Amino acid sequence: MAAKIVLGLLCGLALGFVLQRGRFCVVGAYRDVILVKDNRMFIAVLIAIAVQSIGVYALAGLGLIQLSEVPFTWLGATLGGFIFGLGIVLAGGCATGTWYRAGEGLLGSWIALFAYMLGTVATKWGVLKPASDALTGQKSEDVFIYTTLGISPWVLVALFAVLVGLIVWRHLRQPSFAVPTLKRRKTGLAHLLFEKRWHPFVTALIVGVIAIAAWPMSEATGRMFGLGITTPSGNLLRYITTGDIKFLDWAVFLVIGIALGSYVAAKGSGEFRWRLPDIKTIRNNFFGGLFMGFGASIAGGCTIGNGLVNTSLFTWQGWVATLFIILGTWVATYFVIIRGKRKANSGAAPSQSVAV
Amino acid sequence: MKKHLQVIGMVCPFPLVEAESAIRELAPGQELIIDFDCTQATESLPRWAVKNGHQVVSFEQTDDAQWQITIRKGAAG
Repeated sequence: MAAKIVLGLLCGLALGFVLQRGRFCVVGAYRDVILVKDNRMFIAVLIAIAVQSIGVYALAGLGLIQLSEVPFTWLGATLGGFIFGLGIVLAGGCATGTWYRAGEGLLGSWIALFAYMLGTVATKWGVLKPASDALTGQKSEDVFIYTTLGISPWVLVALFAVLVGLIVWRHLRQPSFAVPTLKRRKTGLAHLLFEKRWHPFVTALIVGVIAIAAWPMSEATGRMFGLGITTPSGNLLRYITTGDIKFLDWAVFLVIGIALGSYVAAKGSGEFRWRLPDIKTIRNNFFGGLFMGFGASIAGGCTIGNGLVNTSLFTWQGWVATLFIILGTWVATYFVIIRGKRKANSGAAPSQSVAV
Repeated sequence: MKKHLQVIGMVCPFPLVEAESAIRELAPGQELIIDFDCTQATESLPRWAVKNGHQVVSFEQTDDAQWQITIRKGAAG
């Protein structure tokens, strides 16, 4: 138990800290591609996947970690991914995003998080289990994309790394513009850790390294997988409501660590405050959280489990689910944000603004 | 004329969405003052402003997890 607690919290603290300081937001990455035509954060997510895929296949090649086979349940991956994508827009954050915003003191994220846990438990082990069983019953024989193609995993790892490298190079070659930053008040390490803006690509590299380190840390405690958010979020609620310590694994301490790490980062940078959104946002956060729990449970993972880890393993499940999470994000962004914006613009001036 | 936008309590991306529609009602050279408390907007608001040809006149932290940014509308926007 001590190893689970120490290794899980350690990994979570590091991840939560980095996510908060780097403003690393996967739903924002998907959403902003269509909302503000900005794909910098999307490229950052690709970097994290590429880094992790190199590290994980290197560790597996050296026999240091064992890769688990993730079955391809195509109906669950497509439908679940899509519903999860709708959910994260409503909840205002993906799985890790919700955990780290809870650490920043956003009460809306606490509500989303609770609904996410509830949706997960209901789908995986509760009243919605029959629906989940029906949707995930259709399994394909193919697990890894490279075994279907009959090639070595390294072909895909290398191709993907080169592709991401090219995209990054093209992006960095664009003429840059100076974005004004806040006045500098700290020096040295304090400035670097608690004040400086982190470039999303640097953040992504660190997230990739943490995602690699998660594998041996988790496997040392007997859990044969890398980062995961949905199942442990559900297990935390199961532990709280039953008191049964069998639900406490490495990943439960990982998610607790994410909230704590984000709290430390936010507190240290003067960015922590309990904040309450308006009623409409709270409603969206709650239903978004339920959608997230249901969607991620039948898709076999969230933006981390599928979007970051299963993609880096080059499993069908990972890439198909991620594609449908992105689609869900775009559909929800269109209906909730873009159309709402048009409606507001055609009416009177927004009520929040006053001339001074 | 200056316009003041209060988006305290709004989570991303809504501060940015509100800023976009608010700045549309201004003439070039006029300023938009935004009070916000969404941490991620400390990155997205100045980036959006500069990318769209506006000028950031001032940007400061006013309290724990609370910021104010003043944006002068550019000629193109």
